[in-house]
Amino acid sequence: MISDEDLMLYHYRELGADERARIGAALASQPELAQRLHKLVARLDAVSTTAEVPVPLEVQARWQAALAGAVRGEQRTAPARARFTNTRWIAAAAGIAMVALAVTFVAMQPKTQLADNDARQPGARQAQPAESAAAGTAYENGLKFHLASTERQIAALGDATPEERQRLIETIIGQNRLYALAAERAGEPQLARVLRAFTPILDDLAHGRGETTAANVAQLSFELRVMQARLAASAASTNTL
Amino acid sequence: MLTLLKSWVRPDAFHTVLSERGPRWYNACLRITRDADLAADAVQEALLKAWDRRHEFRGDAALDSWIHRIALNAAIDATRRRKTRAEDELDEDGHEAAPASGPESDYSLQALTQDLSAAMQRLSSMERQVFVLKHIEGWRLDEIAESTQTSVAGVKHALFRALKKLRVDLQVWSNES
Repeated sequence: MISDEDLMLYHYRELGADERARIGAALASQPELAQRLHKLVARLDAVSTTAEVPVPLEVQARWQAALAGAVRGEQRTAPARARFTNTRWIAAAAGIAMVALAVTFVAMQPKTQLADNDARQPGARQAQPAESAAAGTAYENGLKFHLASTERQIAALGDATPEERQRLIETIIGQNRLYALAAERAGEPQLARVLRAFTPILDDLAHGRGETTAANVAQLSFELRVMQARLAASAASTNTL
Repeated sequence: MLTLLKSWVRPDAFHTVLSERGPRWYNACLRITRDADLAADAVQEALLKAWDRRHEFRGDAALDSWIHRIALNAAIDATRRRKTRAEDELDEDGHEAAPASGPESDYSLQALTQDLSAAMQRLSSMERQVFVLKHIEGWRLDEIAESTQTSVAGVKHALFRALKKLRVDLQVWSNES
């Protein structure tokens, strides 16, 4: 008689060679035993499968800030959670830049069917703040690397299928909502408004309705540049503290 | 080869893997700790520890897997440091039986999820950790024993207790008597 425990140890490859061979032979010759193991594993798989919990925005910002601090060789013993108050703008900037990158990428795709001028000018204008965010010294290193990573992911979508592209944009929209919420909680309603204003545009682009959004993109890209300038000034002031 | 290894441990590699795999680490730690703050702290501790020890990274595994393992160990340590009183009060056989009623024909997904969650919650801290590390993370028994600071026999015993409890708890769902 082979117990459930022995079956599971066989499944986990935790038996010695002899015992493993014995149970393996039994499984091969006894379909009901194989079925028992299958049901047992399936049941345990079911109990261990849980929905993924999204990482809170402030936690993500804390990780990035902690890693950036370690990279800079800064002292790390200060309570990490307290650092978020100084990094709220970083999170918001990441949201803005991610949206700008996404809009830039999608607006430059032939799929949007925009006229050349309408399609390229907003994209070209928005690339500037993203680049300055990546290269500027006012932002935390963590943000720079985070943006670089995001930019790479978006750039890699050149070969993506429409479904994959749509998934990415929907992901960005989801993150954008979080960043807008963070901005609002940080007492920055204007920033939150700009972030939220990008959502319907991204949604249009995700669903192939980009031709109706060029004017809105142009207006929002202007507001984006204003906000980026404010972010740079704010980050510079907090860095001096 | 050395150049390749150096390229793996550059700061941008850490930031990239954090952006891409941080949620996975967090959820893995959450399954161990069942405490959001502890899970978040475990991931951060793992990041900093991995950065400090980046020269030890041999490159024979993915950076993601390496940090993932460090995070799980941090989560185990954190749980050991801060066991909840409720868990401490549960003895080895302190598990409540599953509902005695038979399965409903229209058993909902929500009810199933609740039952599965409840089944896991009835495991003691040690049982849950061992089950997660073995069944989900695929650690070897001796690795679990080392991390949880117990013997292989103790780990095996905890694993069997967990399997027994989970099997009993899921009888309602599985339509089996």
